[in-house]
Amino acid sequence: MIFSSIPFLYYFLPAVLLLYFCVPKRLKNLVLLLSSLFFYGWGEPKYVVIMSISIVVGFVLGHLIEVFRGKGLSKVFLILSVVAAVCMLGYFKYMDFFITNINAVTGLSLPLLKIALPIGISFYLFQILSYTVDVYRGTVPAQRNIIHFGAYVACFPQLIAGPIVRYSDIALQLENRNHTFEKTAYGIRRFIMGLSKKVLLANALGELCDIFRASDDKSVLFYWLYAISFTLHIYFDFSGYSDMAIGLGKIFGFDFIENFNHPYVSKSITEFWRRWHISLGSWFRDYVYIPLGGNRVSKGRWFLNILTVWMLTGFWHGASWNFIVWGLLYAAFLVFEKLFLSKYLKTSKVWCHIYVMLIVCFGFVIFNATDLGEALQYLGAMFGAGSIPFVSTEFTYYLGSFGFILLLSIVGSTPLPKIIINKLSGIKDGMGERILYVAEPLVTVILLFIVTAYLVDGSFNPFLYFRF
Amino acid sequence: MNQTIKNKIMVFGIAATLGIISLFCWFKPHTDYSDSERRVLAKFPALTMDTVANGKFMKEFETYTLDQFPLRDTFRGLKSFSSLYLMRQSDVNDLTITNGYVAKTEYPANEAMLENAGKKFRYLYDTYMKDSNVNLYFSIVPDKNYYTSIKSDSLSMDYEMLVDTMKKQTDYMKYIDLFQVLSIRDYYRTDTHWKQENILPVAIVLADVMGATLSMNYEKIQLEEPFYGVYYGQLALPLSPDTITYMTNETLESCVVTDYNSGKPVTIPMYDLSKATAKDPYELFVGGNTPLVTIENPLATTDKELVIFRDSFTSSLAPLLATGYSKVTLVDIRYINSGMLGNFIEFDNQDVLFLYSTLVLNSSTILK
Repeated sequence: MIFSSIPFLYYFLPAVLLLYFCVPKRLKNLVLLLSSLFFYGWGEPKYVVIMSISIVVGFVLGHLIEVFRGKGLSKVFLILSVVAAVCMLGYFKYMDFFITNINAVTGLSLPLLKIALPIGISFYLFQILSYTVDVYRGTVPAQRNIIHFGAYVACFPQLIAGPIVRYSDIALQLENRNHTFEKTAYGIRRFIMGLSKKVLLANALGELCDIFRASDDKSVLFYWLYAISFTLHIYFDFSGYSDMAIGLGKIFGFDFIENFNHPYVSKSITEFWRRWHISLGSWFRDYVYIPLGGNRVSKGRWFLNILTVWMLTGFWHGASWNFIVWGLLYAAFLVFEKLFLSKYLKTSKVWCHIYVMLIVCFGFVIFNATDLGEALQYLGAMFGAGSIPFVSTEFTYYLGSFGFILLLSIVGSTPLPKIIINKLSGIKDGMGERILYVAEPLVTVILLFIVTAYLVDGSFNPFLYFRF
Repeated sequence: MNQTIKNKIMVFGIAATLGIISLFCWFKPHTDYSDSERRVLAKFPALTMDTVANGKFMKEFETYTLDQFPLRDTFRGLKSFSSLYLMRQSDVNDLTITNGYVAKTEYPANEAMLENAGKKFRYLYDTYMKDSNVNLYFSIVPDKNYYTSIKSDSLSMDYEMLVDTMKKQTDYMKYIDLFQVLSIRDYYRTDTHWKQENILPVAIVLADVMGATLSMNYEKIQLEEPFYGVYYGQLALPLSPDTITYMTNETLESCVVTDYNSGKPVTIPMYDLSKATAKDPYELFVGGNTPLVTIENPLATTDKELVIFRDSFTSSLAPLLATGYSKVTLVDIRYINSGMLGNFIEFDNQDVLFLYSTLVLNSSTILK
């Protein structure tokens, strides 16, 4: 099930909320767990079993790690949990990639397994791993209640597309959390804002990308329009989902980690990755980069650590070479910035911003390509390769048709709307605040109606990050 | 008003909105048919272990919830309004509004489809007409987008290429140009089709080339019922409806119209006014979409006959042409296999007109 769907909004969510707020406190996690399994099973009935096994294995290993703390066995159980997660990811996500490459290198014809990827497996396995590692490190005690642990892993608000919530961040809230009007109202606002970002902006931008791909009238400018549209599309799609997850989390009493902080205003690639998919970046930092030695090693080893982390980051996004190249592209620029680029970036606010956006745009062209060949073809076409015209009829038409959405998206990806609201609330005599008191609930309800209208008129619209 | 009250308004406001819509979703009686979209709506899917295990139930349930959503057309209208006027998009589901005329963007022209149409016509010619004494004519009805795209800069197919391709494919027929005879005002604002009361010039141009003489005097009768065309439902905006006007005279009133749809000849009215309140009022013209219809004109001053291979545009044109012939046969090969035509029509000493809209030519796989 996806958030931006009628079954979720008007069937599942009201029923779950009603049940959740009616049952006594001690049963709330059980309601959350069961509804999460239903939510997950709605899209992938058979994979509920795999998720349930992952929960049980994570729970048992967490316990064993704690029981044998300080002894060798504790490490064995930690390794076992890492191996279990890696094996599951390897089998479900990467097996066909490995087989394809083995076939290409050896000339063999090993058959592909063609296994459907269980939705959200990369997210929930990373959450389980963070738990077992944190228990091993002694950062958190092992959870003694499997319902609580299950509710953490399967928690439907962030189950299938993050943010990757660490157990340590919500361990206390799992057992004792409060529900206030303030938190719920914030959650509602955040959820509907995310839903609007997804349905009104991301879907429209995605439609433009699909139109481009299907077009027989491509031109240099149309390739640029596609690159910019996809860059905005992926931001609004993913950050919209994160907003919905964080908002729903608040409604259910949780405080999830922020996942985006206006990444497109960054002035360096280093800054960009502090603002983009924060939960994944910090996960790799804490569970891969720092254990590898981080930057407290020789320069050569340090660069190797960066390359390793970013290759894994790319690979996490998908079993294809273009994802690995995408990750390595960022590794290269992060290294360049650390070596020499950063001093030049400080000289001009404009140029450093253009530099970041170009790298991000090119990166997402590689990211969204079906393979490396297509990525190179698209990048080449953006600079006129391939004997295509500079401008085409379809480019002109679609620029006009999607121009306002693009403009809205560009403005919406900056902190400008937030700044305007803050300024408004600061108007003298509390007038601004009074306006906001009325406008905020009104706009939220209007947005809900408009989003509903788009959903009723549309059909299935899956989130991009589901495939990860 | 303090922060706490604002939060309470937010929580209760959204809870009430969600709750009320949800209750309607859960308990609203099912609707079987969408008049605005002219299609059957999805029903609650079969709930079995198998359909749940293979995900079929969930997939169909999604469609069901969309189709059965309360005030569905109102919400669809809100979406169209938001896309066109808030998001400033040029079209909604390929529909554009230019000076009040709704047109569907048919784009791009598909050469393979045009060649397929040409092959289909060639087959008919080779099978039935090559060795018979018939005069062959070919003409194309432009869709509305031909006229609206000039004013709105919307995407439009390459009409020049379309006409050239079709002329090359049908070089054994005489081509009659209608593109310059029509204007956007000759079409309904909310429907695909042209208005009968405006297309007498079209009939005259065709008749002149084919050597027929048509009646010039008609009584125009305007129906009281509003006509909500096919684009009205698709766009779901509160546009003002069209009205249908039909043209008649003594000649047309004496004509005998026979429909062979059921396999047996059935006499039908030239204008079936009972269809004015049906799902598609445009079907009131000569039986609407039906594979084979004849119009016999007992007052004809000629024994010339006309066979028209046609789509729905001809339904409203045929009565005007019928005044110049003793018999007009309308053949719609979207609904009858071309190989079976020999059982119903003898091609001998007739005018044969292939009259197709750009919409059908560009989707010619629907021709059988």
